[in-house]
Amino acid sequence: MRKALHFRPDRALRTALVYALVLLVSFVFAFPCIWLVLSAFNAEGDLLTLEGFFPQTYSFDTFRRLFTEITKYDYPRWFGNTLFVAAVSCVISTFLVIAVAYTISRYRFKSRKAMMKATLILGIFPNFMNMTALFVIMTQLHLINNLWGLILLYSSGSTMGFLVQKGFFDTIPGTIYDAATLDGASDFRVFVSITLPLAKPMIVYTALTSFVWPWADFMLPSMLLIDKSSWTVAVGLNSLDDSEFSIFAAGSMFVAVPIIVLYVALSKYLIQGGSAGAVKD
Amino acid sequence: MTQMLQRTPGTQSAFSAYQVRLSCAFMGLGQLFCRQFTKGALLMLLEVGFILFLVFAGVDNIIGLFTLGTTEGVPIMGIEGDNSISMLAWGITTIFLVLLFALAYYANIKDVIYTIGEIRKGNRVKNFFESCRTLFNQKFYFLTLTLPLVFVCIFNIMPIVFTALVAFTNYGGEVVPPRLVSWTGFQSFRVIFTMSEYIGTMGKILAWNILWAVGSTFLVYFGGLGLALLYNAKCLKFKRFWRVFPMFAYAIPSFITLTGFYFMFCDSGPIVGLLKDWGWVSENFTIISYDSKWSLRLLGFFCCAWIGVPSVMFLATGILSNVNKEMYEAARLDGANGFQQFLYLTLPFVLFATTPVIISTFINQFNNFSIFYFLRPETVYAPGYFNANSSDLLINWMYNLTVENGLYSLGSALSLILFAFMAIFSLIAYVTSPAYKKEDTYR
Repeated sequence: MRKALHFRPDRALRTALVYALVLLVSFVFAFPCIWLVLSAFNAEGDLLTLEGFFPQTYSFDTFRRLFTEITKYDYPRWFGNTLFVAAVSCVISTFLVIAVAYTISRYRFKSRKAMMKATLILGIFPNFMNMTALFVIMTQLHLINNLWGLILLYSSGSTMGFLVQKGFFDTIPGTIYDAATLDGASDFRVFVSITLPLAKPMIVYTALTSFVWPWADFMLPSMLLIDKSSWTVAVGLNSLDDSEFSIFAAGSMFVAVPIIVLYVALSKYLIQGGSAGAVKD
Repeated sequence: MTQMLQRTPGTQSAFSAYQVRLSCAFMGLGQLFCRQFTKGALLMLLEVGFILFLVFAGVDNIIGLFTLGTTEGVPIMGIEGDNSISMLAWGITTIFLVLLFALAYYANIKDVIYTIGEIRKGNRVKNFFESCRTLFNQKFYFLTLTLPLVFVCIFNIMPIVFTALVAFTNYGGEVVPPRLVSWTGFQSFRVIFTMSEYIGTMGKILAWNILWAVGSTFLVYFGGLGLALLYNAKCLKFKRFWRVFPMFAYAIPSFITLTGFYFMFCDSGPIVGLLKDWGWVSENFTIISYDSKWSLRLLGFFCCAWIGVPSVMFLATGILSNVNKEMYEAARLDGANGFQQFLYLTLPFVLFATTPVIISTFINQFNNFSIFYFLRPETVYAPGYFNANSSDLLINWMYNLTVENGLYSLGSALSLILFAFMAIFSLIAYVTSPAYKKEDTYR
């Protein structure tokens, strides 16, 4: 009875509107994903055979082909390459980015502001324009077709993005450091036993973003990896045309699903980390 | 020696001590005479190594940078000539090394002056182990920044210098190794600004590029903000569940998303097929083809929103959770309705907090390479454009010029023009942003 008394039509209408919008948005985001996943189970691989959106018959045949027809598409190898590059560059870049961001945030030295401005300018230089030059340099260093060449590029590239992490370190009050220094801790000690534990959300955020970039990048590997055996998944999948559509769909699933799981599991850190670096009062 | 110096404090300035002069003459000598044997020996080794490098390779490299090769190779006759491009690369590397060495030399002289100053004050000279330990203390920044700086020099700065220099050569087209490349000054810029096919294409692409950058930034930013507010609505239950859907779009690598959308909207894809089956469009209807202007551009906006909106949404969600709740309480008591609260409280706060995000989104969208790379029709270039499609952005055009058609010097010149434009814009935007001015707020 009480509920009926408090029933207000405008509020109910608003709730209905909110739910309708949320459902619409969810549909827009979910539909392409569902379409791609179902296409991976298509018994016939060609895009042209699709009648409407969804396949007529479903099977696991695509997945069998993906992992066994190694001469045509060496998917297990591409996957291994991608995992190797992403994991190693994740470790190196996380270490470098955190160290650089902390240093720039905490210490005041002569070329500090100049370095920050230089970073900004370098960051806006169109990425791929360096690539002709990078290709020449990597050829001179004999790092073409070499996964370590990619790892070097990703590590140095992600170091350039330290401004987000610096923004986070700026919010840690300096008094904590002063107290530790008074107690006789060296600067290195302070970094290891005070800064790092405080920065845990930021470290997770950094590790995640610096894993995802090499994992999902297409431009650099397509330029530097010429040999088919050194390809990463992105290059390999992009070489497929629309007659092998379901192979593409199946191959994409193994790339996208780990990232989605990681993101959903760590979404708390993502939101915290991303906004900590950007928000300034 | 140490005692002698102590007896005459302040009679001489630290700059004129004989150790300083020795160190100016040869790196490390001064340190040796201050009894810092390990450090001195290491520094001397460094200078010897540098001189050897100059004698055996460095001087040739620098000369090569100016000549870009003198003997042209003829592969058929087995004559191996000079490779201008690798000479350019090594020339730049050598200049970098010389600059680095000059920096080390300067540091070496400053180090001796410091040591002499300490001796004058009567302090004991630091041994090698103690010098190393200061790296972990006062000079911690030196330890953490050296390696990243080296990386950035090799993989970020050197390619940019290389590209900038290539713009002033005739590298590209017919002129590639084994043919010799030479310096041509501003020739490439002259070509871009005077030849009608270039200037015409550039005008059209630039206009579209600016429209794209403004439109997509607006779309992504306010789309993200709107979604964040929608998911923040009080009447919505299971917020965590609903937020998973945009998370999908955020997490899927963009090359998969874009290729997926390409397959969905291409001529053999389901959307065009269904529209034809229902008889809504004519038989030769296409969304993605070389002369489809607005259908492809609109598809680009859609894909851009699909990919970009969720990240802004998560950012805005984080910011909204920081909004002071009491402000809303006060506003409600003063009789402000929901829309007014949004307009006068939420929007200014979020806009202020995310100014850097707007700037970086704008720059990213201006140079958004992947959207129209993955969505582009196969190969053919549009009529009225030189090596480009009607939907291509400047960055895609540069890619077509350099990577696909090998017109390196023209592409480089173009990127320099674009770079100057972007650098000025974003530097002004960054320096005037509150985030830069008030970075020490929490100190």
